[in-house]
Amino acid sequence: MDLTPSTREEMAAALREASAAGQVVDIRGAGLHARRGRPFTADQTISTRGLARLVDHVPDDMTITVEGGMTVQDVQGAAAAHRQGWPQAPAEPGATVGGVLAAAVSGRRRLRYGPVRDSLLEVVVATGDGRIVKGGGRTVKTVTGYDLPRLLTGSLGTLGVIVQATLRLWPLPMAETWFHATGDDAAMLALGQQVIADLHRPTAVVASPGALHVCLTGVPDDVVAQPGMQPGGEPHGPVGPGLVEVGVPPVALPALARRLAADGRDYEAWLGTGICHVAVASAGEVAAVRDLAALHGGHAQVIDGDDPLRIDPFGPPPPGADIMRRIKDAFDPAGILCPGRFAGAGAVPA
Amino acid sequence: MTTAATGLADRLRELLGPDRVLEGDLARSLYSHDGSIVDGACGLVVLPETTGEVSACMRVAHAAGVEVTPRGSGTGLTGGAVPLDGGLVVSLARMRTMDEVDVANSCVWVQPGVLNLDVSTAVAHLGLHYAPDPSSQQACSIGGNVGTNAGGPHCLAYGVTVQHVMGVEMVRHDGEVVVLGGAAPDPPGYDLRGLVVGAEGTVGVVTRVLLRLTPLPPDVRTMLLDFTTVADASAVVQGVIAEGVIPAALEMMDRNMTLAVEEFVHAGLPTDAAALLLVEVDGTEAEVTTATAVVERVAREHGVRTVRVARDEDERALLWKARKTAFGAVARVKPSYYLHDCVVPRTKLVEIMEAIAEITEREGVMCLNVFHAGDGNLHPIIALDRSDPDETARAMRAGDQIVRACVAMGGTLSGEHGIGVEKREYMPLVFDHDDLEAQACVRRAFDPSGRMNPDKVLPTGTRCGEVGLADAQVPEGTWI
Repeated sequence: MDLTPSTREEMAAALREASAAGQVVDIRGAGLHARRGRPFTADQTISTRGLARLVDHVPDDMTITVEGGMTVQDVQGAAAAHRQGWPQAPAEPGATVGGVLAAAVSGRRRLRYGPVRDSLLEVVVATGDGRIVKGGGRTVKTVTGYDLPRLLTGSLGTLGVIVQATLRLWPLPMAETWFHATGDDAAMLALGQQVIADLHRPTAVVASPGALHVCLTGVPDDVVAQPGMQPGGEPHGPVGPGLVEVGVPPVALPALARRLAADGRDYEAWLGTGICHVAVASAGEVAAVRDLAALHGGHAQVIDGDDPLRIDPFGPPPPGADIMRRIKDAFDPAGILCPGRFAGAGAVPA
Repeated sequence: MTTAATGLADRLRELLGPDRVLEGDLARSLYSHDGSIVDGACGLVVLPETTGEVSACMRVAHAAGVEVTPRGSGTGLTGGAVPLDGGLVVSLARMRTMDEVDVANSCVWVQPGVLNLDVSTAVAHLGLHYAPDPSSQQACSIGGNVGTNAGGPHCLAYGVTVQHVMGVEMVRHDGEVVVLGGAAPDPPGYDLRGLVVGAEGTVGVVTRVLLRLTPLPPDVRTMLLDFTTVADASAVVQGVIAEGVIPAALEMMDRNMTLAVEEFVHAGLPTDAAALLLVEVDGTEAEVTTATAVVERVAREHGVRTVRVARDEDERALLWKARKTAFGAVARVKPSYYLHDCVVPRTKLVEIMEAIAEITEREGVMCLNVFHAGDGNLHPIIALDRSDPDETARAMRAGDQIVRACVAMGGTLSGEHGIGVEKREYMPLVFDHDDLEAQACVRRAFDPSGRMNPDKVLPTGTRCGEVGLADAQVPEGTWI
């Protein structure tokens, strides 16, 4: 049975009923980030698409409050009318605000603008047992209470459904251009490191097999091609049956990328941030990439792929897993929200 | 002291030696206070120097069932570092070691007692700095900054503490040491690091912090603008940002504050102005040139009297000194002060400034304003003499009305100082029962014992309901 509640109260009621009945629920926005975590079997899927309204946009405060099912495109459109934007968000057609936040998907402009979690000011969530809980605040700065917005960002639907979000917007830059160069991987990585060393706050420096893409943002005088580069479009991202996101200390990323290139993998390394997306075709390849990430001081998680690729989506459990479990129990006491999604093959039950 | 407490002191002395366990009346009195006007009750103080010592002290406190309050430099303004019920204070002031700077990753691990400004000073030769810069940065510690998710003038463009803390090492209520986050971004699982920052010492004792270091901007321009009305100054704040310029800092000072500061710092501030704006823009040379032109144009459109641009680093430092010593300058007016750091949407600046003037006039107290105008983060400083009970009562009443006015305008209780003791009973103004209960559950998930800095942040009586806190069965192999 699938549901598409059209108010937050209906959403809470649906979850309350599912909790009472012990029905396992999967949450769905556009479904772009649904293939994350360990697969589980849901009794029902609840969609956020009925919650897609613009609640409040205060251009002069540079904040926008929207329902969780609104698309990122619609947010960008509303903001652009006032020469503003949400630069931390990814550029994925159809993605919903709730999905992007629940999966903590940051866009390529992360190097300059930071991760998406830094743009969420206030969050309203419907918990697993059907309470409506608000955290944070709509002002651009607040330390009022515990940081529920950061907790919910990346919680993958295991704590509740994001029914409303207040986002911090930024002015659209006077100029922004993607530049690119092609050449062998080692040369491209070296060029990327040079760009980071030479420029003050580049927006994105993205290395992929045989190419480097650089995004510059700011005043027109600063948005000019670096030596050896020409204007061009955004990179297309690695292509494969599955996708792994690696996080390593930024300095280790070029070395990791060189190894990926030597292994013939398709990858996209966001230089300066430590993030790298790698295409994989099997659980064995996931493990190989994770070993490489660990060797470089980081971790790897599967962010897309069929069920067999997601047997061990995260690797070893992180520190503080007992804390996370108690938080989960408090937000979803019946354990109906995406149970088992956060799991690793090495994990043991409490 | 009770026999049990004496036994506790003995055990702690076995761990730290006699000099680093304080239980004399003077010490207990000192540690019963911080930068706020809260009077607490401290039972015992320990001064550990390593994570291992903190862990050992926490194990002893755990076994004894003693409440624990972590403390940095004690500059907090809401009573967050003040024990209320004779508990143990764990002072991190002696934990002042910085690791070698990881230049390649632009970060550094520091102990919590390291002072904020010392970080930037230590890394300046590498072309780096630590961006959050509370006005108390010469005295406040990184541990305290983490506890309150501290801000500062430059957080307008650079973001607050949580955006600059990549990882924390924390000793939990029972002495367990846990490391959350690190130099590798986005570790799997919930963002516990993000919850620890701003938790005001209620989830554990932070013993090491991985700070993100930010490149120094290639160019900086600092401007002082003066206006004959607060409304004009506020319109410039609004106008500059509406033009798409986010200055590195955008600070406002009213006439009362300007008078006090000028007498103290002699920075040549125009003391007849109704409001001053201190605006700093940074970035590439082209960015700074463009932003400066926008600021000047918008300021002229709103009747600025003078635009003073700092000619060199000395003049820039002088202007910032005027801003950052403002709280201290209040001592020239009255011996003490009381303030809230509530936030209003930037669009409500004029309205709230008028409300503050009206409230303080009605209560017959003197208010000096100096604040982060760019992000709507107010600091209405009510000067008072605490030996005058009537004036103190009027100051409290005025503060109460100011908080309520901020919330009524869509604002919130604190932008950077935290909730502590002072503002916890205001929490129901912005959160309902379910919101607060969820926060209590998050807190209890970290500290099931409830002994970590109790009576802070959440209002009296807020509990995490029993439901859900039993360790539920989880599917095999899952960690959440």
